[in-house]
Amino acid sequence: MSDKYFYIDCQRGLKVEFNKLIDDVNESSTYSKYCLTHDYYQIFKNIIVSLLIDKPIYLLDYDFSTEEINQLTGIDIKNQSLQSIAIKEVNNIDDLIKRIKKVQKWRVFLFTSGTTGVPKKISHNFSSITRMVKVTEKHANDVWGFAYNPTHMAGMQVFFQALLNKNTIVRLFGLSKDEIIKSIANEKVTHISATPTFYRLLLPVEQQITSVKRVTSGGEKLDVNIANKLRVAFVNAKILNVYASTEAGTIFASEGEIFSINQIHENLIKIVNEELYIKADLLGNSDNYKLEGDWYATGDLVEIISESPLKFRFSSRKNEMINVGGYKVNPYEVEDALLSIESISNALVYSKKNSVLGNIVCADIVCDNKSLSIPEISKILRTKIQEFKIPRIINFVTKVEQTRTGKKIRK
Amino acid sequence: MEKKLLEIFNTVLTNRSKEAIKGLTPNMHLRNDIGFDSLDLAELTVRIEAEFDIDIFEDGIINTVNEVFDKLER
Repeated sequence: MSDKYFYIDCQRGLKVEFNKLIDDVNESSTYSKYCLTHDYYQIFKNIIVSLLIDKPIYLLDYDFSTEEINQLTGIDIKNQSLQSIAIKEVNNIDDLIKRIKKVQKWRVFLFTSGTTGVPKKISHNFSSITRMVKVTEKHANDVWGFAYNPTHMAGMQVFFQALLNKNTIVRLFGLSKDEIIKSIANEKVTHISATPTFYRLLLPVEQQITSVKRVTSGGEKLDVNIANKLRVAFVNAKILNVYASTEAGTIFASEGEIFSINQIHENLIKIVNEELYIKADLLGNSDNYKLEGDWYATGDLVEIISESPLKFRFSSRKNEMINVGGYKVNPYEVEDALLSIESISNALVYSKKNSVLGNIVCADIVCDNKSLSIPEISKILRTKIQEFKIPRIINFVTKVEQTRTGKKIRK
Repeated sequence: MEKKLLEIFNTVLTNRSKEAIKGLTPNMHLRNDIGFDSLDLAELTVRIEAEFDIDIFEDGIINTVNEVFDKLER
């Protein structure tokens, strides 16, 4: 184990062995429950420290504005106080894993785009966030390509799958295509889990990638075209499509676009009026859930292929969330941000299909100030909402179309 | 066409408060030289399609200005 790496980041020239991680954890003398950094290694280390002291951790997106953080957590992130801690010395990675599995009060808080306005807070305890983690001898030599944002649910699941199996994590998220291909080849990555957008931006690859054994896709609908190209690029890999959400994590997987539900899961999901419902037991904690009895309506619409055994494919979303490369954007939140600009009197935010990100955010605005430019509007929005939520196409219009009942017409 | 493309590239850049470029050369890399990220590329493809009626990323991601020219001249 002494020469095995915990984390490799080619962009930062970082190669951290497990022993170094243990040293860094042992030397940690302060703790903050709010984690805001662009350094993935620090995020992972902070999570491990919070587990060892059995205290909660809030994972904040690095591009949240100070205003957003204040709205979400009620704290002034610039003046947050650090707490002194003393960690009982961790001997090695086995000791570390043994100890983090014993946590009782620990919770991780994540933020996901809510359906009614600002992002909503979801929390998971150790058992709910590691529910899908498989620890076996078979996984001992896996090398994980880390292709998700580490402050989101999918990133957390990959992190725990890797950590609990003592696997190396190789950063792929946020790197250029060349850096990604080089990292996969140099570090002999065996497993990658990512959004279809991540793969779309990676394809086509000039030469086949042979080290990867498993390619998992989730967060958006995987179209057949991308799946076929993935089979060509990752010649030795099994391509897996998973359905997952921040609320529940990964729920089930399929090898194509058709999901087949095995008996174990049969009583955990149901389909009513084409909408997928999941059992409340599968969910993390949040005040924002609207449950119907024991069931949570996912807002995902499915087309049933067969009733017994249950087989279906996803068709669309019931609500109006815009999926931008796996990130959900609530049009109402963006409209609120636009309307907070004084001279904008009306706004309609909608999505447009896009070959790069799946969808792109667009807006029609009624603006009384003729000298206000789009770059200026974008600059103001940047202080209010995250970059991926900012409309990329903004049209000035004289009026936003409305239906006869006064509702806006979404395109 | 080149003049129109340059205009589109600079619209995408300046909307993001990034610096405009003075000219396009065929071997320029969209990400490394011009500084586009995936959000910019998404916007770029919409604006190019609106002007030339061609989705340059339809068959996968392309990397250089020359490849954009190729797609539009095809």
